[in-house]
Amino acid sequence: MLGILRRIWGDGASGQVARKRMQFVLMHDRIDITPDVMEAVKNDIIKVLSRYMEIEGGSVKVDLEQGKDFMALISNVQVKRVYRNAASG
Amino acid sequence: MAGRTIVVTSGKGGVGKTTTVANLGTTLAKKKNSVVLIDTDIGLRNLDVVMGLENRIVYNLVDIIEGKCRKEQAMIRDRKLSNLCMIPAAQTREKNSITEEQMKELCSNLAEEFDYVIIDCPAGIEQGFKNAIAGADTALVVTTPEVSAIRDADRVIGLLEAALVRNINLIINRLNARMVKKGDMMSTEDIIALLSVPLLGVVPESEDVVVSTNRGVPLVHDRSSKAGAAFRGMAGRLDGESIPLDGDAGGLLGRMKRLIWN
Repeated sequence: MLGILRRIWGDGASGQVARKRMQFVLMHDRIDITPDVMEAVKNDIIKVLSRYMEIEGGSVKVDLEQGKDFMALISNVQVKRVYRNAASG
Repeated sequence: MAGRTIVVTSGKGGVGKTTTVANLGTTLAKKKNSVVLIDTDIGLRNLDVVMGLENRIVYNLVDIIEGKCRKEQAMIRDRKLSNLCMIPAAQTREKNSITEEQMKELCSNLAEEFDYVIIDCPAGIEQGFKNAIAGADTALVVTTPEVSAIRDADRVIGLLEAALVRNINLIINRLNARMVKKGDMMSTEDIIALLSVPLLGVVPESEDVVVSTNRGVPLVHDRSSKAGAAFRGMAGRLDGESIPLDGDAGGLLGRMKRLIWN
């Protein structure tokens, strides 16, 4: 009964919940990157991009996503403006 | 030609390693192969009770390695099959009583005499695990459709790959088809996609397993058990037969259906 109610509220069958949780857990287990390292990656991305453009530092997110046969690092960065002649600086 | 050395491992305990070793070993022996099973779970041995051979232990694995007996003296012959025997683990010693090098040597010696050397690995990823995989050319990773077992299986697969074990196959144990149908259990496909390892077979959840371990008679002796049929299918595939994966649980009816549909 509880299960039926849960499904009506859109919680999903528990098998699918387990599958999604495992995708996430295994990805992190496999790459063996600690949250500290992820934070360092994020800060370095901000540092490099800041040479070329003004970015919203607080908005930067860095995530690893698992595709079917690959893993991708996905980062969304909000750009305020691009510096002129940035490349030569 | 040297025989194959196969380790059955899982990371997590209680997922069915010992049951798998007993049933695959028994089936391979029934198929006229010479088979030796090794229990490497030193301190927590169980293969002997699952095989129903607990009363006949004199010497054990550590005794062989320490030279206290010849390896033939520690091998216990199966009650029904004369070409099947088992080397029990020591019960009052520790995992680090033996080394990886010693296991490697023992396995390669045994592989010269036997068609199959099947190693029952302890739970965990410490010294006992390292010893168990040291001499193996093939690994069978057993998991159940639960998050903790799958996570541990993934970890073990990573360690096996790092240890350069060439063939790694997956066994999914205790699958409850009714729950999968309801959506309340990860399916075989879900688990394969998560672990990306070739599947050797799926064993349905079954009360027969408890009954068979109670009696100390491997399940594959029971022709009517679906779980037993699953183990027989896996052993056949290991032995090079082309048995379709979905046919294991079908029995005679399944075989007839396949004849009609294919």
